[in-house]
Amino acid sequence: MNVTEVMNGAGLKAFTPVGTREIKGVYISDMVSDIIGIGEGLLLVTLQTHKNLIAAANLVDVAGIVFARGKTPGEDVVALAHKAGIALLGFDGDTWTLAKTLYELGIR
Amino acid sequence: MARQRGGFLVVEGCFHCRNRISFFSEEPVPPVDDYREGEHFWSHLGNFQASKFDLRCEKCGLEVALPEVMSLLLCLKCNPQCGVHKAGAESGHPGAWVYAALCANTSHAGGACVSEMGLRALNEYFNQDLHDPGKKILIVPCRLRPFVDTCEGVVLADVGLTDLY
Repeated sequence: MNVTEVMNGAGLKAFTPVGTREIKGVYISDMVSDIIGIGEGLLLVTLQTHKNLIAAANLVDVAGIVFARGKTPGEDVVALAHKAGIALLGFDGDTWTLAKTLYELGIR
Repeated sequence: MARQRGGFLVVEGCFHCRNRISFFSEEPVPPVDDYREGEHFWSHLGNFQASKFDLRCEKCGLEVALPEVMSLLLCLKCNPQCGVHKAGAESGHPGAWVYAALCANTSHAGGACVSEMGLRALNEYFNQDLHDPGKKILIVPCRLRPFVDTCEGVVLADVGLTDLY
């Protein structure tokens, strides 16, 4: 399943161009220091909207980032993610609801 | 990646020599006390949750310890005269993202920085599985950065966690 399919299936909104990169799995964390060791191609679910998150996500080459609970990234964060080709998405519900939705879509 | 552990990146400054130093604390609460050390008087400037790690080759088992690497910093190209910025420009790779490996000797008063072996391992590790063949991660030593206080780079550490809610 790719990022656009997940966006449409889970009812996510896009902050950047989304693309069709395949998603290999999901990782949930709000800590930059935690995600530095994850594998590439994951969809990162977080509440953290700082630029530091994009710097780390770019390093580990995530497929996209979903901000839960209606969190909205700043313009500088969106610009950096856009430049890095990282899809930024938003979800109004809580992280648990999003996790269930992603699982029901078939992401493991 | 091997032996990833959480802790705090602690930054201190001496107001006599104006130098900065850093260290990684794995204590539950990082030390914040000021102290005298010879001619220096080190004051706590800040601490941030961060992670430290070593690298191990999954094919041959070679382990590269990275004791001197405190964190990584994404270059935002704020200063064309900065060596970190130049390293990216001179890499000949338009898709290069330049990160500086931050050592403890922040002002490099002692000259030491991240080892060549550590830098080679970091570059190999973070480039091995990139999805886009046009993308490159270039990790350089922080000694290329002339002024720590004016650097606008983004440190890979947790800031603003209390702003979440």
